[in-house]
Amino acid sequence: MMRRLLFNLMVWSAVLIVAFPLFWMVVTSLKPQLELWARPPAFLPIEPTVEHYVTLLQDTNFLVYFRNSIFLSTATTLVVIGVATLGAYSLVRFTYRGRESLAMLVLFTYLLPSVVLILPLYLMMVKLGLANTLFSLVLAYTTFALPYALWLLRSFMAGIPEDLESAALVDGASRMGAFRDVIFPQLLPGIISTALFTFILSWNEYLFALVLVNSDASRPLTTGVMNMLISSFNIEWSLLMAASVMMSVPLIIAFAFLQKYLTRGFGAGAVKG
Amino acid sequence: MAGVTFSRVRKEFAGFLAVEGLDLTIEEGEFVSLLGPSGCGKTTTLRMLAGLEFPTSGEIRIGDRLVNDVPPGQRDIAMVFQSYALYPHMTVGRNMEYPLKKRGLPKAERKAKVAKAADMLQLTELLDRKPSQLSGGQQQRVALGRALVRDPQVFLLDEPLSNLDAKLRGYMRAELVELHARLGRTMVYVTHDQLEAMTMSNRIAIMLAGDLQQFAPPQEVYRRPANRFVASFIGTPSMNLIDGQLSRSDAGWHFTSPGLTLPVPALRDSAKAGDACLGVRPEHVHLGHGDLQAKVQLVEQTGHENIVVLDVAGGNRLTGRTPSSQVPQMSEAINYRIDSDQVHVFGPGDTGARLNADG
Ligand SMILES: Nc1ncnc2c1ncn2[C@@H]1O[C@H](COP(=O)(O)OP(=O)(O)O)[C@@H](O)[C@H]1O
Ligand SMILES: [Mg+2]
Repeated sequence: MMRRLLFNLMVWSAVLIVAFPLFWMVVTSLKPQLELWARPPAFLPIEPTVEHYVTLLQDTNFLVYFRNSIFLSTATTLVVIGVATLGAYSLVRFTYRGRESLAMLVLFTYLLPSVVLILPLYLMMVKLGLANTLFSLVLAYTTFALPYALWLLRSFMAGIPEDLESAALVDGASRMGAFRDVIFPQLLPGIISTALFTFILSWNEYLFALVLVNSDASRPLTTGVMNMLISSFNIEWSLLMAASVMMSVPLIIAFAFLQKYLTRGFGAGAVKG
Repeated sequence: MAGVTFSRVRKEFAGFLAVEGLDLTIEEGEFVSLLGPSGCGKTTTLRMLAGLEFPTSGEIRIGDRLVNDVPPGQRDIAMVFQSYALYPHMTVGRNMEYPLKKRGLPKAERKAKVAKAADMLQLTELLDRKPSQLSGGQQQRVALGRALVRDPQVFLLDEPLSNLDAKLRGYMRAELVELHARLGRTMVYVTHDQLEAMTMSNRIAIMLAGDLQQFAPPQEVYRRPANRFVASFIGTPSMNLIDGQLSRSDAGWHFTSPGLTLPVPALRDSAKAGDACLGVRPEHVHLGHGDLQAKVQLVEQTGHENIVVLDVAGGNRLTGRTPSSQVPQMSEAINYRIDSDQVHVFGPGDTGARLNADG
């Protein structure tokens, strides 16, 4: 009984510690400029306002950045999931020389700090004529999301009994048909968790975006918001917080809808066979 | 209808020989068991027949058709997997419908066939359940149902009963035999359980380490096992196998082992004096009379009979059977007799060939 209480206390403190900055972010975004620096700080805004949101949407590039981020993250996720699913299938189902070493080698990307990779990548993008485009970011994000996604999906794939696919083949399906009818539905939780992981990674990425893209037309939210609201002299706290709230919304929505798959997916991936 | 022919089929996995030069002809409508210990290549053989594994060399025919390069879906076979391999996200009904769908049957016809198969296997109530909501026995029947709906030329079954409890297994054995009689289709049945093979098959193919040891009807395999391995694998309690020496005198062949000297039946011309192995079925060791003597080591009462283990001089053991009315005492000295007309003689080694002249 006592231990249960203690446990609950600990969990709730942890939740509070994590949630407080989020709460503060929302509160700050709703405070009028005057209340912002009030002392002592008010917990809840006295006169809540949405003016910062309106300013952001009407007078700034926020929507352009937002659209860029959506495109960027979606495209990256699609590419990564497409390639990683096929790769995982190959690594699990086919036997060929160097299969294991190949899988290990893929993880080597993570041994190099991204700072080391950025400049060569930038030069390559310039050579390819992709500098300053969203597409260059899609490529860059794919390079660092793919290895992890491949490993994640590989373990999910390994958990799907080979007999299922064999049964589908005997029942008259082609390899593609067996994949679509039998493997894919089993893999779906894994695909969704991997997709979510990739999406979040791309959504929050800053460094590559900063170096590879410096035109307003193709900036994603991370660098765009920083660029427009933070200068050496001034930080627009209210706008920044309003932007942060709106940046979190897509992720929150995605989590809310996919949570079911996510927990099931992690459970399924953990138990083999 | 079609039989199945394996001609010189070999299968290697990265240097590991799983099946070696297999020659096997299964007649149309026959129920054939592939029997052998775990890892002997039964599943590999079945998967090659299904088209899920490609032979390294050799030819496989279904009916007259060479199927080496025919994909599984076009071989007109159905397979029941050891793990059942039911599609977890589909209901029982959809599982059974899947092979028909893949063959492009119209919906009404699919429904009718599924209903008929479900009826035959008492699955009608379960059609809307997911596989995870079924017991092991029910899952097994669904797997069978999915194979049945299509009425294929050949049924392949890979240890379909091995995950069931003993009672259900006995029941399903009878069901399968009945099903085979009703459908009249060729069935290839993989098992490591000699009892299943013995009770269900028209013929049994016994394998060891990728090698076919004998292919014959159950009674033949029991009465005239091709070699020592087959003899030891078939029958419970298993055949007594005693290592010793074979010698020839004017009176005929004799077998000697410490504590035991026995005349043996006529042997083949190829039989040579020297190391050999004597095989005696427990039912041919008669207890309570005779001129041999041994100590009773162990008595197992199964109800309708007793299994008695004798300690013969020289460290040899012999298992015999007595009717339930005759219960020997532990450690008792008992007279016994070996039916020397019924003994088998095998050459040396684990797969020493049977040397009896009647083979
Ligand atoms: N895909 C594979 N790769 C490598 N070895 C395999 C493969 N499939 C089976 N084997 C090996 O071939 C032998 C026969 O296997 P199998 O046919 O499954 O035996 P069983 O008689 O138990 O069904 C085993 O030693 C097994 O380890
Ligand atoms: Mg097997």
